[in-house]
Amino acid sequence: MRIETLSIRTVTVGIVLMIGAVAVVLSLLAGSYFRQSALQAQMNSLSRVIEVAAGEMLKEARQHTFDLGMRMGYSRELVESLSDVRGQAHLAGLLDDPFINGFVGLSRINLQKIRLYDANLQYIAESSRGLEGLGRQLAAPMADLVSNRQGVERLKAADALWFSADNRPLFSMLVPVGGLRLRGYVEIVIDPVLNLEDIGKITRSPVSIYTASGEALKVSTVHDAQHSLPVRYVLPTSDGQPAFHIVVHEDVENLNREMERTQIVTTVSFLLLTLAVLLLALWMFNRFLFKPVSRMMRDMESMAYGNQSLKVDKTGLREFYVLAETFNAMAERVRMRTQELHSSQNRLLHLLDVDDSAILCFGASHDLVYFNRGACQAFGYSGDEMNDLEFPDLFSDPTDAICPSTALDSRRLQLHCIARDGGTFVCEAIIRALSAMGGSGYAVVLNLARTVQSAPEAGRAENGEPPMVAVEKSLRRILEIAHHNPGLLLGEETAGDHGADGDGKPRLREQVFRVMTSALACWERELGKTKLDLAEESGIWPVYIDKSTPTTRTLDKYLHIDTCPKNPRCQRVVDTAEFVLKQIADRPVACRQDLLDALEALRKIQSGIPHGED
Amino acid sequence: MSVIVRVFLVLLAVWSAGVCRADDDTVAPEHVPGAVAVSAEELVKLIYSNPGIVLIDSRKETEYLRGHIEGAINLLNLKMTRAELQRVAPDKSAAVLFYCNGIRCLRSSDAASRALEWGYRNVFWFRGGWQEWDEKKLPVIAGEHPGLSR
Repeated sequence: MRIETLSIRTVTVGIVLMIGAVAVVLSLLAGSYFRQSALQAQMNSLSRVIEVAAGEMLKEARQHTFDLGMRMGYSRELVESLSDVRGQAHLAGLLDDPFINGFVGLSRINLQKIRLYDANLQYIAESSRGLEGLGRQLAAPMADLVSNRQGVERLKAADALWFSADNRPLFSMLVPVGGLRLRGYVEIVIDPVLNLEDIGKITRSPVSIYTASGEALKVSTVHDAQHSLPVRYVLPTSDGQPAFHIVVHEDVENLNREMERTQIVTTVSFLLLTLAVLLLALWMFNRFLFKPVSRMMRDMESMAYGNQSLKVDKTGLREFYVLAETFNAMAERVRMRTQELHSSQNRLLHLLDVDDSAILCFGASHDLVYFNRGACQAFGYSGDEMNDLEFPDLFSDPTDAICPSTALDSRRLQLHCIARDGGTFVCEAIIRALSAMGGSGYAVVLNLARTVQSAPEAGRAENGEPPMVAVEKSLRRILEIAHHNPGLLLGEETAGDHGADGDGKPRLREQVFRVMTSALACWERELGKTKLDLAEESGIWPVYIDKSTPTTRTLDKYLHIDTCPKNPRCQRVVDTAEFVLKQIADRPVACRQDLLDALEALRKIQSGIPHGED
Repeated sequence: MSVIVRVFLVLLAVWSAGVCRADDDTVAPEHVPGAVAVSAEELVKLIYSNPGIVLIDSRKETEYLRGHIEGAINLLNLKMTRAELQRVAPDKSAAVLFYCNGIRCLRSSDAASRALEWGYRNVFWFRGGWQEWDEKKLPVIAGEHPGLSR
């Protein structure tokens, strides 16, 4: 795609659409991330709640075991039995008492074992009831803690969450026996799962508890697994090893619903806001960029097409104001230069017209670029008819033989002239090559006073050589003007740039040919008339009488790409197209659009604006 | 009549709220002039070094029954008269220690002040009280079981 085919409006709208699309994608991504973040935050929050709840449950267990331990520690019978000779069996019976007779808070803890140690933490006895296989060693974390204590500190109770030999997590409370007079310690061992189950009462969610190895200790039934968010918390032992995996199944249906609602509200709000901002941006672009540029382009095109009275509208932002000002200044200078050229041209033409000689100036392709009044009179053509003629139309002599080859070449010879009515006459002529600014051509000056055979309107007073030299200088100047302004000397308003552009001429010719063929096609198809009718009714193209037959040989040249003049009369072509369009204006014609498109393209080429098709 | 009752109730409510708020902000003094302030550990050492020390729990009976320090006697400060104190601690030169619920409780400081006024010369004050004792998981006696004699 060529960048010239894109307009600012297209690019801007494209950018805005891209921003809009990115905004939509980002909002959807943000919504997704929001959902993940919300769930993660919920999990973190709930994990913290589980941690606090687990702490509370252990605190409750700690209080109940402490109370039980204190009751036993202050038991006179137990204290006295420490030094009793009745032995282990009696102590075991005393330690079994809570298992048999119960105690305050029985339902709140799952008592597993009661063990008795002396003041040096040496094992003395344990209850015969409860868990078997615990061994005699005090739990390591607790033993480390208490054995390092000194003095009064040894009276303080200690607790720990620890692993038994069979890798079972248990909770122990070690309290002194004998009150303030320390005689030993009693250890209350419980299974904390009973207390941890109550986490669900705080979180109001089903709770499942697993060991560190994944063994299920308590599994709750989850009714709606789809809306359940499992939140895991690892409860460590006192020495930092994972003791329990507590999984709370949080019902996130409400959370999902609220997240969905929030997501919709935020996404829609964001999109609406983005849309509003983009629309505002588009409006501002339209107000401050598109419209001024469009207006400037319209004005500039109109000025380029010849509307020199127009000025580019300067209303707009600073850059457009400066641009319009600059363009207007440039156009003003062009206008002044054009007026100067016209004045110069008029003076020259007047000078040449007063000469009695027939002066004709041909371009390199033998097309007539200038003729004076004497030439019209000599050949019997009107000015308009002369416009479309070329060397072979006026002279029967071969062009190759008579055309000067170099710029300084000048020939004096007799030319066989062809008058409008078909009559011929021989006339003495001077042919001189002309070159200016890279272009070439030649001037033919017919000395009508030395006509061998009488010519229409011949009989001018004899003119000598001296005027010829003066005229040559003028012709050189004219050729230079004609080279840069094709058609200017012949009274047509065409832009100069396409004539100077070597690449523009074939394109112009091609477009001229396209316009003319389109116009003639419309004319013939829709109106059922001939090209002769077109030439006569429009009055744009001359009609010749060749052997009593009316012909349109000038018009015919424009209907074939090979014969189309290299410097075509664009204004005639445009006038023809507009004439045809006017004639078929009230008819539903399909070919009108083709003609309009071709005409528009021709105008753009004329004004120097690049055309997309090319 | 009902209007008067209502106004009275409102005034009572305002007064109660004020009192409660005042209580909330109340903190026991750092020191009771003339009394020796001790911590929980110092109290245990004091008991070891002075077996005849009289521990007076200045809290309500219900609080006392929920748990108290071994050997403590429940004597609510509001009910503590000179005669009552003399009954539990007849020797004014003997060591007497007062405690209540903790630093927000003014009962023990009040009781210790009055004991000093009444001529007791060896007064100790456990400012941290039951709260500190319980937090440090020191031995406690709950309920009415007699516990062990020192």
